[in-house]
Amino acid sequence: MAQKMTVSIKFLGMQRVVTKKDFINIPLRKEMRVSDVLELVRNLYPDLHLDAGVIFPTVNQEKASLDKLLRANDIISFLPPISGG
Amino acid sequence: MEIVKQIKYEPAGVKGGYTDRILSIDLGRRQITIRDLPPDFKNKYIGGRGYAMKLMWDGTSRKTHYDSPENILVMASGPLGNEPGFPGTGKSIVGTISPLTDTFIDSNVGGHFGPLLKLAGFDALAVSGIAQQDVVVAVDGDSGTISIMAAPAYDKAIDEGALSFGQGLLADFNSGEYSDSLAAVTTGKGASNARFGIINSLYYERKRKRVRCKQAGRGGTGTVMRTKRLRGIVVRSSRSKANGNNAVDKEGVRQAGARLREVILEADPKQLHLSAWGTTILSEYMNKFHLFPINNYQYGQSAESSKVFAGVFLDRYFSQNTPDGCYYGCNLACSKSVESVELKSGPHAGQTVSVDGPEYETVGAVSCMGIFDPHFVLEYNWYCDEYGLDTISAGVTIGFFMECFERGFLTAEDTGYELTFGGMEAADRLLHEIANARGFGRVAGQGVARGKKWVAEKYAARKGISRDDVQTELNKFAMEVKGLEFSMYVTKESLAQQGGYGFALKGPQHDESWLIFIDQVHKELPTFEGKANALKWFPLIRTWFNATGLCKLPWIDVRNPEAASTAEPAKNLPTLAYYVDYLNATTGGHKTLQDILDDSERLYILQKLINLRHGKGTRASDQIPLRAMGPAFFNEYESRAEYYDGWLREQLGDTELPASPQQRHELLIQKRIEAYQKLCDIVYEKKGFTTDGIPTRETVAKFGLMDEQAGQLLHQFGI
Repeated sequence: MAQKMTVSIKFLGMQRVVTKKDFINIPLRKEMRVSDVLELVRNLYPDLHLDAGVIFPTVNQEKASLDKLLRANDIISFLPPISGG
Repeated sequence: MEIVKQIKYEPAGVKGGYTDRILSIDLGRRQITIRDLPPDFKNKYIGGRGYAMKLMWDGTSRKTHYDSPENILVMASGPLGNEPGFPGTGKSIVGTISPLTDTFIDSNVGGHFGPLLKLAGFDALAVSGIAQQDVVVAVDGDSGTISIMAAPAYDKAIDEGALSFGQGLLADFNSGEYSDSLAAVTTGKGASNARFGIINSLYYERKRKRVRCKQAGRGGTGTVMRTKRLRGIVVRSSRSKANGNNAVDKEGVRQAGARLREVILEADPKQLHLSAWGTTILSEYMNKFHLFPINNYQYGQSAESSKVFAGVFLDRYFSQNTPDGCYYGCNLACSKSVESVELKSGPHAGQTVSVDGPEYETVGAVSCMGIFDPHFVLEYNWYCDEYGLDTISAGVTIGFFMECFERGFLTAEDTGYELTFGGMEAADRLLHEIANARGFGRVAGQGVARGKKWVAEKYAARKGISRDDVQTELNKFAMEVKGLEFSMYVTKESLAQQGGYGFALKGPQHDESWLIFIDQVHKELPTFEGKANALKWFPLIRTWFNATGLCKLPWIDVRNPEAASTAEPAKNLPTLAYYVDYLNATTGGHKTLQDILDDSERLYILQKLINLRHGKGTRASDQIPLRAMGPAFFNEYESRAEYYDGWLREQLGDTELPASPQQRHELLIQKRIEAYQKLCDIVYEKKGFTTDGIPTRETVAKFGLMDEQAGQLLHQFGI
């Protein structure tokens, strides 16, 4: 049986507390972009604070734009601003 | 307590953030002097770090070392410290000539000491000389007395501890009762035995009904304090803290403070949520991006790291539902604490204590020793505070010696026991040895820079090889610059932060610049030019915070949503505008952000001159260990070979990668070294320095700093 292609959304800090999960896997749709994943996460977890402008999407630990196309096994995070105290 | 010397005085009132007075105490001569400052002093040197540097520039010389009688220990808030109407105004600076770097060090500390010193009538306290006996200084604004007293003797265990002795002092000075009208600074016996002694800032927190403490941790300020035989300083003032700065425009202060508080209230819970987690939240993010300093900065990530993530401390240890600001009016309130910890080891085993912390840096320091045990973190935190030791320098130093041991430079014969990464028992033993100057602790207490020389000598003699060759090998992983141990971030993949540490005037502490995320993750500084601009701008604005008595976190760690629509969101300019308003409302001035940056640059250049005077101001002093630039050893390269090969591929373009992994590792290191040198060239040019990192005469003159001493100094360097 062919394995389903997925991407992972990794939750850190407060996001993990709100979602009670370290990560979730979602099926990779054709032409799926970071913005699609963001929308999906917002719908799944309306209590998460994912306001545009104060979240920084990363794909595989590299900064990514919202319109970046995703590939199978990509790991997506939505980071808060971090400036190091 | 026996009074050795006492004077009466009339506390000056605070006006527009300043008292315009400095209190000087010479412990050797038993002299207490109150100096009125000329009006232009504050305009030129701002306060806090600026005052400390100016006093050091005028009052010490190249021949001044940390233990010289003429060395000065300066404590100062700043014009914006002490305003409960604005978040984060409890900071003060401790400045002195460091036992680690042998040049000026400043370390900021929260709590009530700086604000109360100001209310007691002084913008700064400068202590010089060495007392003939252990003494305590008391600045009592209520009774109008300043006293040098023989240090009290409680019992041995209390007298040797920074926390316990400080608690004793605070009670003693107020008829056995704690009060928030008093604050104290103290240090412990560890500061006598190690070069990285801290100064604890103790204050009474009414909500918790106990004495809490924050630390001026970096650079050995506590060691200087103990060298002066100064056991503690107590300050008292019952003057109202509300409108403590007697601002020129009180309504302006109120409005600026309300705007900042609103941003914190709205944005912090959606971002790092420091008000709930404290700075321990950073561990998780650092681990994710390979920035956690595991095993002496060899690896940035470990499967074990999650054992010390913030959630563990929040769920199991932090007292909850209690605001934790280190000064009144701060709703970021990130100063977390654990109320009840039973110590399992050391001389206080079995005792239940309260731990103020841990901060991210302490968790990082423990990971630097390869340890991922939350209880160990808490014990390490408490013992370091009680002994008066810097958790950062102690952790990096122990981590360095662990690596020396694992790479064969040290043996059990040298240390007395197996000293390997992850060994909690050995790490614990070495910490107590450092504090008590016993066994191998006598070596480790000297810090990394001096420790590596000791190891080189031992190893070279044992093997019959050149000491210089050994030293070269040790330099690769001895995580210090200018004599100060690195703070807790792996910089291998961020050239900008390599500069952030290398160019930092005090040594590699991140309070001058922290550019890792905007460089490594967000890729906002893709060019050398961009990195150099950031390496000029961020140290200037961060220096200003240290000169004004302010905490940086409400600005830098809570992003104002409006910043997203600005050209450079990382500067968080909408929030900085509140700070500019707060400054002008307090002092009655009309400064712009650019004026603030210019004021700060004057201080930056002054510190550079002090470094130059003390042999730490040229390009040679800005060089960083190989490990800060990349994988110093093959095992580090191997741990992320795919990533490193990808990086190399990007650099080489069409050129083929070398065939063997060893060759690729060598080439990568060569590229990293070249990049750092190129960065030095560009940054020096931006800062108005020569290619050797020395300020030009034009640069010094531009900021009004060309006095006779500066002229002679530059002349010595052929400028």
